[in-house]
Amino acid sequence: MYQRTLLLLLCVTASIFCQQPSTKNGEWPYYTADLKGTKYSPADQINAGNFNQLEVAWRFKTDNFGTHPEYKLEGTPVMVKGVLYTTAGTRRSVVALDAKTGEVIWAYSLREGNRAAIAPRQLSGRGVSYWTDGKGDDRVVFVTTGYRLVVLNAHTGQPISSFGKNGIVDLKEGMVTGTGQQIDLETGEAGLHATPLVVKDVVIVGSSFKEGMTVVTHNNTKGNVRAFDVRSGKLLWTFNTIPRPGEFGNDTWENGSWATNGNTGVWTQMTVDEDLGLVYLPVETPTSDFYGGQRPGNNLFAESLVCVDLKTGKRKWHFQVVHHPIWDYDLSSAPILADINVGGKAIKAVALPSKEAFLYVFDRVTGEPVWPIEERAVPQSDVPGEKTSPTQPFPTKPPAYGRQYVKVPDDLIDFTPELRAQAKDNVARYKTGPMFLPPIVGDNNLIGALTLGTASGGTNWPGAGYDPETHIVYAQANQSALFPISMRTPPEGFSDIRYVMGRNGTEFRVSEGPGFGSAADAPQQPRVAPVKPAPAKPATAPAASVGALTVQGLSILKPPYGVISAINLDRGDLQWQVPYGETPDVVRNSAALRGLNIGNTGQAGSVGLVVTKTLVILGDSQITTTPQHPRGAMLRAYDKATGREVGAVLMPAPQSGSPMTYVVDGKQYIVVAVSGGAYSGEYIAYSLPSNN
Amino acid sequence: MEAPTLASTLLTACLRIIKLCLVVGTGILAAQTTRSVWDGVYTSAQAERGATLYANNCASCHGSALGGGESAPPLTGGEFSSNWNSLTVGDLFERIRTTMPADRPGKLTREQDADVLAYMFSVSEFPPGKAELEHQTEALKQIRIEAKP
Repeated sequence: MYQRTLLLLLCVTASIFCQQPSTKNGEWPYYTADLKGTKYSPADQINAGNFNQLEVAWRFKTDNFGTHPEYKLEGTPVMVKGVLYTTAGTRRSVVALDAKTGEVIWAYSLREGNRAAIAPRQLSGRGVSYWTDGKGDDRVVFVTTGYRLVVLNAHTGQPISSFGKNGIVDLKEGMVTGTGQQIDLETGEAGLHATPLVVKDVVIVGSSFKEGMTVVTHNNTKGNVRAFDVRSGKLLWTFNTIPRPGEFGNDTWENGSWATNGNTGVWTQMTVDEDLGLVYLPVETPTSDFYGGQRPGNNLFAESLVCVDLKTGKRKWHFQVVHHPIWDYDLSSAPILADINVGGKAIKAVALPSKEAFLYVFDRVTGEPVWPIEERAVPQSDVPGEKTSPTQPFPTKPPAYGRQYVKVPDDLIDFTPELRAQAKDNVARYKTGPMFLPPIVGDNNLIGALTLGTASGGTNWPGAGYDPETHIVYAQANQSALFPISMRTPPEGFSDIRYVMGRNGTEFRVSEGPGFGSAADAPQQPRVAPVKPAPAKPATAPAASVGALTVQGLSILKPPYGVISAINLDRGDLQWQVPYGETPDVVRNSAALRGLNIGNTGQAGSVGLVVTKTLVILGDSQITTTPQHPRGAMLRAYDKATGREVGAVLMPAPQSGSPMTYVVDGKQYIVVAVSGGAYSGEYIAYSLPSNN
Repeated sequence: MEAPTLASTLLTACLRIIKLCLVVGTGILAAQTTRSVWDGVYTSAQAERGATLYANNCASCHGSALGGGESAPPLTGGEFSSNWNSLTVGDLFERIRTTMPADRPGKLTREQDADVLAYMFSVSEFPPGKAELEHQTEALKQIRIEAKP
């Protein structure tokens, strides 16, 4: 009797286990493959020996999922039980596709009108999430452009009526400014284009806002992270990323500035340790990205990795990687959960890739750094009212995996003495210095503080990947993302913040952010700009020639412009590093370089990757035309052990979303979103020929 | 051998005229498709008009110096060249006409779109010419975008 009961229990357990989506079944059930953020699949049908034979299995154009095509398709589908689920188009529709053919099974969209048209995060976003009870109740979860949480029946695409109000929870409810003033549900600023984190029966969502270059107020909407019951839509907990009075960290907003500042959301992917019941939140910059004079103090939990309890949302530990943030070093990437072994000691770790090109590694239970992180003195700001932190954290291990600042003249282009001389002349128009060089008040003489790897350097939103068997992180890094930062006073009446981006002595311009104004329901009203801009000067003397960051069409920086790194988490060192992609046409065909052997310079740009049993797979961010291939961008495979490129297949446009892989009926597929330039958004699935 | 009739003579003449037209037409077409942005395809006056339009409609995302924003791509330099090299001005014109400005696609007229293009070309130091850039897509598709002449 005992044996029969045990057998039954085993069968039931096995049955339930088999119904749970997993990369072990050939599925790709989360944006990052799994809840640990690894982007790892054990699939090994596609390998170094056959990658070049890949051919297009199917393609899915997203043009008609909105009023106009999208040229910045960033989604990564999930695949469960032979069906792909993802977002598409300027309407941010959700589609279910047959994973073998790309045929549309169903599509869903919500028409949100002006609410979507003014949203801070537009276009189709990063995709959807999946939940199942293991008994046939399967759901697709996503956030609309207008910041509504929607739960759909995965089989039909219809909203689950018992969730929220007819399948929808209005995420703007509960979003506040100031000391707690509810934002307007239609016009209030809040959105999200990351996928929700779905774990057990809980949906966790972050929040994001408009870019912080020329903000109209420092008292913007406050970020937070919230958990909802996946069945009912009931709010389970809220974590205030700007702590309120009485909450830990409130005193890091000096002069009561917690009450008059906003942002500090979580706009990228979160991860969770299901067994430990711990969630890892990568938090962004407060208002504004580049001026903090009206928020003195360290400003917790801005630019912090925060660990909270899955059940309660209570803080377990945190680590602020940038104090008093003013460089737009938003924590951009999903934290990676890694069980490693350092000096014979097993550690449950969390590794955080970053725009800074540091991989911050902590014990994910205690928050203690695995290797010491030192506070070191950094340059101080002279922008009026700004009070920068005297020190910033610097990890001692692993070493930086990308360029972090412009070292003059060492980092400047050196193909020829003439090019370097020109680069030095151009750079002389900027203030330069080490990492954490603060913004300056620029003018026509000193254009700005020349930073690198701040707003869009290192590893950005596509994140990195990890092999749980070898304990190696694979990260692509943009190491030519020059970003001059200059501040100026805004025009009278434009904003209550004292400094915005711009240069004294030049015409003030409002700067907009990613995809702004591109939702299906555009047109829209522009931001308030009370000062009528004067007509621009004629084009006879392009402004680009003054302090240009290019010389003769080439970057002022030395290559490689982008790199891929393998970082060993047991040792805390770089196992290998190679240029990312291939030399851009503008370099290869440069008249200034004719006759020189310049090697592979790699490419700028931020892209995501897939890690499989033997390969690291990622695509080019730029189109090239070479003797080896016609006009296009290449999806490349690199040997995990060495970084050597072992195969490549042509894409019609640059990779614009992070790729994924899955196996259906014994066949492995790789799906990648491509778009850019003249090419509108398209998901392309590659697989081996049937006779392979 | 029969003498040619008037009808056959006329037919032969017509065929020759058609053939000549075809040869000349093909030659003209060939000449058109060999034009590139380096052949003086816009005027300085047109670029000046485009500069004002650019400042008021494009600069907030693509930057005052066309260097791009955090997300909006640059409209000059290597990345721009990567996206558009070996395509046609017509392709670029259609991209602008149908999707830009992002907050109000179609706000600008075809003539204004062409003016903005002229300004972009001036910043990329493509040489100006004597005739303005046209605003009909098919005509613009006869002009190639090339990184270097």
